[in-house]
Amino acid sequence: MEKTRKKKPFNFLIFSFTLILIALGIVMVFSASTPAAKNQFDNIYHYLHQQLIAFGVGLAAMLAASYVNYNVYKKIAWFIFGGALLLLVLVLIPGVGTVYNNARRWITIGAFDLQPSEIYKFAIIVLFSKLLSDEKMQNRKFWKGYIIYIGILLISAGLLISEPHLSGTIIVVSIGMVLLFAGATKIWHILVTVVPGVAGLGLVAYYFEYMRIRVITWMDPFAYAQGDGYQVVQSLYAIGSGGLLGKGAGKSMQKFLYIPEPQNDFIFAILAEELGFIGVIVVISLFVMLMYQGIKVAKNSSDKFAGLMATGISALIFIQAALNIAVVTGSVPPTGISLPFFSAGGTGLVMFMGEIGILLNISRYAGKGYKK
Amino acid sequence: MPGKKGKKKKEITEEAKRNRRLLILIVIFLLIASVLIGRIFYIQFIWGEDLSKEAYIQQNSGMIISPVRGDIYDRNGRELAVSVAVDNVTVSPRTIKNNSMDAGIIAKELAQLLGFETEAILLKLVRDSEFEIIAKKTDRQIGDAVRNWVKENNIEGVYVDEDTERFYPNNNLAAHVIGFTGGDNQGLFGIEATMETYLKGIPGKVINEVDKDGNALPFSETTEIAADNGKSLVLTIDANIQYIAEQALLKAIEDNDVARGGCAIVADPTTGEILAMVSKPDFNLNEPRAILPGYKTDEWSGYSKADTELLSKTVWKNMAVSYTYEPGSTFKAFVASMALENNVIKLTDIIDDYPIEVQEAEIKCWRTPPHGVETFLEAIYNSCNPVFVKVAQMLGITRFYEYVEMFGFMEKTGINLPGEEVGFFHKEPMEIDMAVASFGQRFIITPMQIVSAYNTIANGGYLMEPMIVKEVLDDNGNLVERFLPEVVRQVISEKTSKTMAEVLEGVVSEGTGKNAFVPGYRIAGKTGTSETTEDDRYIASFCGFAPADNPILTVLVILDDPRGESHFGGVIAAPVVGTIIEQSLEYLQLPRKGDEEYIERETVVPDVIGYSLEEAVNELKTGKLEYIIEGSETGDDLTVVYQYPLAGKIVVEKSVVVLYKYMPEEMVTLEMPYLINKTLGEAKRTLNSIGLNIRSNGGGTCISQEYYQGTVLKKGSVVEVSFRYLDNVD
Repeated sequence: MEKTRKKKPFNFLIFSFTLILIALGIVMVFSASTPAAKNQFDNIYHYLHQQLIAFGVGLAAMLAASYVNYNVYKKIAWFIFGGALLLLVLVLIPGVGTVYNNARRWITIGAFDLQPSEIYKFAIIVLFSKLLSDEKMQNRKFWKGYIIYIGILLISAGLLISEPHLSGTIIVVSIGMVLLFAGATKIWHILVTVVPGVAGLGLVAYYFEYMRIRVITWMDPFAYAQGDGYQVVQSLYAIGSGGLLGKGAGKSMQKFLYIPEPQNDFIFAILAEELGFIGVIVVISLFVMLMYQGIKVAKNSSDKFAGLMATGISALIFIQAALNIAVVTGSVPPTGISLPFFSAGGTGLVMFMGEIGILLNISRYAGKGYKK
Repeated sequence: MPGKKGKKKKEITEEAKRNRRLLILIVIFLLIASVLIGRIFYIQFIWGEDLSKEAYIQQNSGMIISPVRGDIYDRNGRELAVSVAVDNVTVSPRTIKNNSMDAGIIAKELAQLLGFETEAILLKLVRDSEFEIIAKKTDRQIGDAVRNWVKENNIEGVYVDEDTERFYPNNNLAAHVIGFTGGDNQGLFGIEATMETYLKGIPGKVINEVDKDGNALPFSETTEIAADNGKSLVLTIDANIQYIAEQALLKAIEDNDVARGGCAIVADPTTGEILAMVSKPDFNLNEPRAILPGYKTDEWSGYSKADTELLSKTVWKNMAVSYTYEPGSTFKAFVASMALENNVIKLTDIIDDYPIEVQEAEIKCWRTPPHGVETFLEAIYNSCNPVFVKVAQMLGITRFYEYVEMFGFMEKTGINLPGEEVGFFHKEPMEIDMAVASFGQRFIITPMQIVSAYNTIANGGYLMEPMIVKEVLDDNGNLVERFLPEVVRQVISEKTSKTMAEVLEGVVSEGTGKNAFVPGYRIAGKTGTSETTEDDRYIASFCGFAPADNPILTVLVILDDPRGESHFGGVIAAPVVGTIIEQSLEYLQLPRKGDEEYIERETVVPDVIGYSLEEAVNELKTGKLEYIIEGSETGDDLTVVYQYPLAGKIVVEKSVVVLYKYMPEEMVTLEMPYLINKTLGEAKRTLNSIGLNIRSNGGGTCISQEYYQGTVLKKGSVVEVSFRYLDNVD
């Protein structure tokens, strides 16, 4: 068993890439948040302090997780999923869930805002990894096996959409599909669900007013520069002013309240403005290399559960980063989504660092031979 | 073992399958990353220039310091247009929402502060936008109240920005001259438009970066280039004379049922300065787009293309410069000037006004029967058309039109006001064209051209460029620039000018211009009654100057389409010019001279109640007043217990005061007699003989009386009676 195995050091590249990204992230949070912090709290360090505290907690979580054997999650998979699902239901209840910007996405516990969808993203990785690596569930036919996963994803999507939390829905469904794909599900199974799914999404976008507005705004944000297109237009101004080398660290103009909450979802635009195309390449490369290392860990993992977990965590971070950058650059219709390791916010940073910790733990057992 | 081997094989294929799929995932992710990098490359390098330019404008737009628009004053420093500090109230609905502020409460309190409907504000507050205007150009007082409320309650997302608004303290006064501005304080009309470059000033800049709310950024160097405030203007307009002219014109339009409005211009002939310029109908400068009478509120925006066009054609139209008409007989003054200048005829030469045939057209005098054989001077007094045709023929076409051009009728006067029209003459005139032109018909000119040309006759022969702006001042009131009178050319000699002044004075004292006569002031002028292409539409005008020996005012009055009892310029326009000249010269404190017998001196009725009859009579006599005693013949009560008119009433000398020896239960009354067609002397005698007093205006025969015949009046009442010369008044 695992006990007999000698503990290897974790994948140092993953650890390094993560810390570089977080370091960059904290610098950017400080730079981007100063005007907002000054304006709101009369203290330019407000968000920096919060982010540093979150980093401390996250670092502890990451290191701890790197020592906790990943099989624990397999054992308590249903418990984790059940808990996350419960929070997802609870957040919808008025009085329990806190509304901010028209969405009921947070549960306030003391001074701490918990975002159940962040936990749920992890829970779905754990549950799918467990089920797909479970021999009993393996090689099931379409109706008895595959459709169960689709059912879980549909229920999750239904709950998340009710908040509403479109980006959370997209992430959870994408991660689910990535795991099903990596978990060797038959390709035609995936196709018969993905194709109608995408078609359904198109219909939703066409028939629901608020979705249609998003699409129309996305097509020409400048026509709605004072309304729904405002954030994207301001974001494009920021990125466009960056050029090759950027204006220099701390020299963003757009962070001066032109971009609302520049330290949150649109932090990448400030980064592009201050650090230019070079900075953009560095950050995207770091995310790509992190993803690559993570999937390499999955490939070299000792068993199927570990492989799926590693794939799921790597895909989660990459997909969320890619979706965020796509929104910030106006490449997809706008939706509220944070940039992993960068955007200010405690739950996100701690969760992502903890997940990296799990990835690091899995990397300790890499190259031990494949176990079903 | 086959089983083990089989299982091993399965494991390998499964692992390979998984690895293949992981590879596919990596490829997909790399593709996504490449697309995003490509997109950012496009934004930063291809789109970047435009985006950063727009971003720069946005980030620096808050740095402009708006200059204060210059004021406009009349020649005596009276404010005609001023900039008032106001505020714009705007909101950011997103900020309000993001700060979890209660839009309902904000709307309610804003509505209360601004005096708006709560619902109207709430509607804007709940929009999903960054910027909504709540109130534009609201009073600074209200703006300050909102500012305090925002500060005290830490309201996020409600902003109050400084702005200025144009205010015209005199509303309609000189509206067409002053003009108005648009929403961005840009001059749109009148002096506001033509002097825009002086008035608007140059915006200042803060070379500094600002955040979205316009606050300067930390650590940025600030260089401030102050705004160069607009220059103030001193116009040549005299607000008092403008008011006099407006009131006189307005009264004439009402009295004579003038259908298409009118205009009046008062100028200083020696400098060409415009002292007053009135055009009716007019508008309130503070509400230039107010609904026109006869239009429905729901069909009127004031800003639509159709509405703007309509306004431009009606109330905004400055008749003084943007209106052309046939001048009629007022033009004869120039023909007479040319004739005297060129010695083709002398004033004493005998001529006649019997019909004359020109190119098979018969031209007759306006009066039937004609005046017959007369001197040229008399012909001018009588405004006889055939005489002017003959004089024009003596001059010849070339010389005639040379002078028409020299008097400035072929070009714009160059007045600094928008929309100036230019007259129209025949390009290659024939004999008949000149013949009708000699008495002012079949060509059109603007009122301003007529005034300029009359200035020439009045000032010694010099055509002056009309002036409307006198001085330019900086925002501390220091003189920056002074505009000086400019002579365009000398048209006639000083001698001819002097002679013409005397001739035209005679027109007023003895000729067709008698109704412009004002005792004590020597007025020179010429009447005009223009026919138009439309049936029964006449344009009555009179242009004159005073004092004739040393003119300081030229006045033109035009009434388009009078529908009252007379349409003759001599009857309805001349007295308006007389009134404007009289009141203006009084205002300018020019003493009256001569004409003692015409001047009706005024006196104040003294208080004689309680006096003995003897004392009262003496008191009235020293005030040059007459008296009638009412009361029983018997009795020895010699005390005055009541008088009428009461003490303090201003009456003309020799008016009758009724003295009561008893307290009357009812005042003694009598009936108003019929005075129409009586002369001034007859009317005065008629009234005084029965115990009524006259207040007269004009001369000649009575055309109207304040009360109808038979109206019961208190004995001693003062009755207003108007007189006009009705014959020889073309």
